[in-house]
Amino acid sequence: MNKLVKKTLITAVLAAAAFALYYNFSLLPGYQDLEKGISDYIITYGLHDTGSLNLITAVLYDYRAFDSLGESTVIFGAVSGIVLILSRKMLPVSSKGLSFIVKRTLGIMTPFIALFGFYVITHGHLSPGGGFQGGVILAAISIIFSIVYGSAFDYRRYSPQTKTVLETGGALTFLVIGLAGIVMEGAFLKNLGFLTAERGTLISAGSIPYINIGVGFKVGAGLAIIFYSMIQKTFEEDF
Amino acid sequence: MNILEIILLIFLVFSAVMTVRFDEELISIIFLSIFSLILTALYLLHKAADVALAEAVIGAGLNTAIFMSAISQIRHSDSD
Repeated sequence: MNKLVKKTLITAVLAAAAFALYYNFSLLPGYQDLEKGISDYIITYGLHDTGSLNLITAVLYDYRAFDSLGESTVIFGAVSGIVLILSRKMLPVSSKGLSFIVKRTLGIMTPFIALFGFYVITHGHLSPGGGFQGGVILAAISIIFSIVYGSAFDYRRYSPQTKTVLETGGALTFLVIGLAGIVMEGAFLKNLGFLTAERGTLISAGSIPYINIGVGFKVGAGLAIIFYSMIQKTFEEDF
Repeated sequence: MNILEIILLIFLVFSAVMTVRFDEELISIIFLSIFSLILTALYLLHKAADVALAEAVIGAGLNTAIFMSAISQIRHSDSD
């Protein structure tokens, strides 16, 4: 009898979920806008609407900024879950680092990698790139430190607390700009018109560069935290 | 469809098959990284620079590092 009730309950819940999903999808608008050519609209009016030379960034952080906010939330959830499962009260030490030559070479190269990362983030509205790609480049610096210098170096320089603060700060920047859109322009994440400058300059395109910077720091810190909690933990914290 | 694209596509399929066929995890990961690099070149050939940058950074850079750390943990727990 108990089994029968259980089976009935499961069937009822599944049927309700299927109905809810069907109802949800039936509310979606049809494809008539696509046939009229929404891509043609963006190619024609994108530069005029947003001031961003890179139309992909214009779509990502202006027309579809709410989707990007959802993506950032997904990354935040992934980081939270991985840290919750894998974090231990130990200092992770993957290795003692590589040889002297590799350490010196990377010491010379690392500032240029960081410069390239910041370039990709801040020029997201002018050239290919954007917050996500630049953030991953910044996360690669943390990975390089962990591999080449040993992860204790990375721990001392950029502790997980610092990375958490950076990630939260990036997410808050995104949200604050979205709320500023409500206050000043009347819609969530609407492009802030008073920030627009001459096209092609570094600080143009309204709020897109600032959202890029927020997303960049958020993604970089989040992916560095993920890598850091996944590497081998062998030593107790003793410094 | 020019000759460079055909060569890249052949190498793409080759590296994908090699990734699955090898038993050694390290070689599989390296072939996966090569797969990402060839895909980056293909994206650039089709003038999708944003996607190419994301693929190069995530597929060839970050994925390799995370998979390497994962297999190093698996091997440690095997030998212990």
